[in-house]
Amino acid sequence: MALINVAAREIHCKIVYYGPGLCGKTTNLKYIHAAVPGQARGDLLSIATETERTLFFDFLPLDLGQVHGFQTRFHLYTVPGQVLYERTRVAVLNGADGVVFVADSQQNKLREDLASLQELARNVVDQGKRFQDFPLVLQYNKRDVPNALKTEILDHYLNSTIKVPRFEAVASKGIGVFDTLKAISKLVISKL
Amino acid sequence: MDPQLTSLVVSVAETSHIEETLDRLVAETGANYSMLLDKSGQVISAQGDTDHQEITALGALLAGTFASSREVARLLKEKDFRVLFQQGVRENIFTELINEQWMLVVMFDKRTHIGLVKVLSKRATDELASILERVKLESRSRDAVISTSFRTSVEDTIDLLFKD
Repeated sequence: MALINVAAREIHCKIVYYGPGLCGKTTNLKYIHAAVPGQARGDLLSIATETERTLFFDFLPLDLGQVHGFQTRFHLYTVPGQVLYERTRVAVLNGADGVVFVADSQQNKLREDLASLQELARNVVDQGKRFQDFPLVLQYNKRDVPNALKTEILDHYLNSTIKVPRFEAVASKGIGVFDTLKAISKLVISKL
Repeated sequence: MDPQLTSLVVSVAETSHIEETLDRLVAETGANYSMLLDKSGQVISAQGDTDHQEITALGALLAGTFASSREVARLLKEKDFRVLFQQGVRENIFTELINEQWMLVVMFDKRTHIGLVKVLSKRATDELASILERVKLESRSRDAVISTSFRTSVEDTIDLLFKD
């Protein structure tokens, strides 16, 4: 739930990057952190294992500066993707205003993508929200790998019922990262 | 929480009530500072000797810790853990849940006794609970704050800032 502080003239929104393990959620945040101008971003905070797998979450605050006299901030989070961390994902998803679902385009990852998306839908509903109305965009990541599924196939399995905006991406090179971020931030603002 | 309510709008008047409650808690306990967080990790207010650089990250981490403990409670079939206490060499953190939606955080060192923090935090959470209930009701009339032109301006800023 977004926070609008009239006295401090601040607006805060929370965006969560969700998806199966190793799909590129942290890579998205790292690219955003590197590419956004210094005055607009805070430190990237990662709670990760020694092998750099996300253990709890990554956190990146972004500051849009003054808009109509309001300091507008987006707080980006990632969840840990590995199956065993399901309850941790629920914890991070708490109070999210919007979600980017990062799907791994590789053929052998489709099953994990689907399971993760279904889990997300369950968790959003468990928070008392309607999944159909919840601000969500899909990102088909790793478009550059040789065994990437065609987008039509990913659309069919992941987006045929929910029909949300979706973007192709190669997060490690920054391709599609900002298109995804722009789409979800605008969706979140439209629901304020 | 009302799922239809997408934003919590805290008015100037209620902000000052929240600040007064936190200020009094800091003064009476001798704590270093105190914060009010919502469950998503947003800092609604922070009073006392705060370093604003770190407040945002602290809010995210403390809310994460609490959310994690809520899941532990679920697994143990416990309703929830209403209080968390983190004890360090220099700093201690006392966190208390308010109406399942918000958290009161008190940061204090060895000059302050935990018992005092517990008792006075209970009083503060009662006060904050009634303020926050009012804030929730007022949040329904948010149109005065978020106008169409505001949304358009935010979208323009997003386009300007979020690019390679």
